[in-house]
Amino acid sequence: MTTATTAPTNRLTPGPRALAGGGLNSVRRNPLLVVLALMVLVFQLTTGSFLDPGNLRGIAIDAATLAIVAVPLALLVISGYLDLSVGSTLAVGGLVAGWFAGQQHQSPVVAVLGALAAGAAVGAVNGILCCYLGLSAFIVTLGMLTAVRGLAQQLFPLPLSSFGSGFAWLGGSRIAGIDAPVVIAVLVLVAGALFLALTPAGRHVFAIGVNREAAYLSGINIRRTPFALFVVTGVAAALAGAIKASVLDSVVAGTSGAGFELTVLTAVLLGGVALTGGSGSVFGVLLGVLFLGCLQNGLTLLSVPTFWQQMAQGTALVAGAALAYFGPRLTR
Amino acid sequence: MTRTPYPSPATRRQFLALSGGVLAATGLAAAGCSAPDDGASTADPAGASAGSRTLTRIGLDYPFTQLPLYSTLVKLSTAAAKKHDVSLLTTSDASNPDTQATNLATWVTQKIPAIVSFPMVFEATEATAKRALDAGLIWVTYGGSLEHQSADIQFSFLEGGTLLGEAAAKWANEELGGKGKIAFLTDSTIQLGRERTKGMIDAFTKNAPGVDVVAREQAIDPDTGLSKSRAVLAKHPDLNLILGVTDAAAYGGFKALQQTGRKATDAKTFVGGQDGAAPSLLAVKKGTFYRASAALAPKDIANAVVDVPLAVAAGKANPSVQVPITLVGRGDTARIDDLLAQNS
Repeated sequence: MTTATTAPTNRLTPGPRALAGGGLNSVRRNPLLVVLALMVLVFQLTTGSFLDPGNLRGIAIDAATLAIVAVPLALLVISGYLDLSVGSTLAVGGLVAGWFAGQQHQSPVVAVLGALAAGAAVGAVNGILCCYLGLSAFIVTLGMLTAVRGLAQQLFPLPLSSFGSGFAWLGGSRIAGIDAPVVIAVLVLVAGALFLALTPAGRHVFAIGVNREAAYLSGINIRRTPFALFVVTGVAAALAGAIKASVLDSVVAGTSGAGFELTVLTAVLLGGVALTGGSGSVFGVLLGVLFLGCLQNGLTLLSVPTFWQQMAQGTALVAGAALAYFGPRLTR
Repeated sequence: MTRTPYPSPATRRQFLALSGGVLAATGLAAAGCSAPDDGASTADPAGASAGSRTLTRIGLDYPFTQLPLYSTLVKLSTAAAKKHDVSLLTTSDASNPDTQATNLATWVTQKIPAIVSFPMVFEATEATAKRALDAGLIWVTYGGSLEHQSADIQFSFLEGGTLLGEAAAKWANEELGGKGKIAFLTDSTIQLGRERTKGMIDAFTKNAPGVDVVAREQAIDPDTGLSKSRAVLAKHPDLNLILGVTDAAAYGGFKALQQTGRKATDAKTFVGGQDGAAPSLLAVKKGTFYRASAALAPKDIANAVVDVPLAVAAGKANPSVQVPITLVGRGDTARIDDLLAQNS
C-alpha cells in the first residue's frame, strides 16, 4: 500500500529537497563537520568504546567549559578583537568562587556571583584599554594574561580545596539527566547563535569586524558592543573557572587554566572564525570545540604515546584548518 | 575645516602620557623596593668575608613558580634565613629554562654570595655553576648534583616513585589478590618527572605483576588528570588503581573515579600521588580511596636551603644533605596534620 504524502505548504518550512540542499550547503560551509564525522568513525572502529554513552558524557563535560568561553570569544574575534587573558581569568574565577565557597562558607550563589564579578572586572579593564583607549588587543590581553595570573598567585599562593557539597552542584549535578556544565554550555551556544542571527547588536558585531570605520560612519557604536563582548568573555571565563573548581573540588592559582587561552582560540579558529574579524558562526565554534574534545579523548583511548599524541594533535589541527580554508573553495 | 568622524586618538595620547607617568612612578617605586638591603652587601660583592665566610645573602632559584610549593618554600626559607640574619633572594623563572639561565647569569654577575638552584636542565646549568665557583661564590645544587658545585640538596625522586609503587602493589596483592587494572599518570617532560615515573612504574610492575597496566598517560595537573582518567574509565570502567606522578594529576583521577559513580570510600580502589599536596593529604586523612602520597616536608627543604650554604661558608666537611621523602597513608594523621600546617 502506498500512502500519498503532502508536502508542507508553509513557505517557512523547507521541503526535503531544500533540506538536502541546506545540509549540503552546511557541509560546504563547515568542512570540519566531515572531518569530525570521519574522526568519530575511525575512533569508534579502532577503539570500540568511543561512542559509549559514558565516554560521550566525558567528552561533553570536558568540552563544556571550552564551549562556554569559545562562544563569546568567537564573537569578540568576529568584531575584530581578541582576548588572550581568558586562561588567567578562568583561574581567577575558580579561585574567587572557591574562596567564597570554601573559606568564607558562603552560599554557592554568592560564590558564583563573586567569580562572575571578578571575570567582569578583568573583561572591563581589557575593554576599556582596547575599545575606548584604542590599545592593541593582542598586547593588552597578553599583558593581562600575565598580570592577572601574577595577581591570582599573590592573592592565593596555596591551593584551595573542599568547597562543600553545595558548590559541587555546579559541576556535578544533572538537569534532566544532562550534566549541569553541558546544560550551561548549550544555553551559551544557543544564546550566542540567537544574538548573532537575530539582534541588531549581533549584526553590528559583523559590521565592526569587517570595517570599523565604515561601521562608525553607518552610525554603529563601535566601542560599546566590543566592550560588552570583552566583559561577557571575562564573565564566561570566570564561570568556566568556577565550574572547573566545582568539578575538581580544588583550584591552584599557578596551574588552573594555564594554556587554556590557546586551546580556546584554536577551537574558535578551527570553527572558521576569521582572526581578521568579520566572519564566523557559533555552529562552526561548536564544531571546533567538539573536534578538539574528540581528538584528545580518542587519542587517549587509543593509548597513543605522549609525544605521538602531541604530533597527531598538531597535524590534525593543521589539516582541519587547511580543510576549513580550502574546502569551500574546492566545492564551489 | 575638515572633521574626521572616526574617533579621535586624542584620548589615546592622553592615556599614553598618563600611563607613561604611571609606569615611571611604578619603576621608581619598584627600584626602591628592590634596592640592596644595605651598602655593605653591595660593597662586599661576595657578601662573605674570606676569613669567616659569613653569609649575608642567599639566592634561592626555584623555577616552578606556578606550583604551590614555591610560595611555601619561599615563606619557610625566608623565615629560616632570618634566624641566621641572612636575607633570601628569589628568582622568577616561570618554569622557563631560558629565563632561569638568564636569572642565574645575572646573579653570578651581581656576585650573590650563595646560590641555591634547582636546574630545569642540569647539563645546561653546568657552565653557569662553574662561573659562579670561579667567581668565588657558593653554588648549591637543589634536586640533583652538578660537576661544578659546592654542595647539593638531594631528593630521591626515584625513591618517591618507588615508595608509592611499592605501597600500591602491596595493596593490590592484599585487596585484589594481585589482579586488577591500573592506569599511570606520568610525566616525561622533565628529569624530576621521568625519575618519579620510572620509580613508580618499575616498583609497581615488579611487585604486582598480575595487575594489568591499561594506560600510561601524560598528566601533571588536575584538569588533565581528570580528562585522561575519564577517557581511560570509559574503556576500562573496572579500573582499580590510578597512580600519579604528581598529587595534582592523581587528584584529577580521584575526581574522575567519583564522577563515574565510585564511592569515595570504595574498598577496591586505590589512588596515590606524589608531592604531599594539601587537597590530596586531606583526601587521605578523610579515609577516601585516595590512599597515599609520597611527600616531602617543605620545612625540611627550607632548612636545607639555608643550612647547606651556611655549612659550606663555615667550611664544614660534607655539607650536602639528603631530604627524605616519606609515604603518607591513612594512619599517619599526625604527619598529615604537620604537613598541612607547613603548607598553610
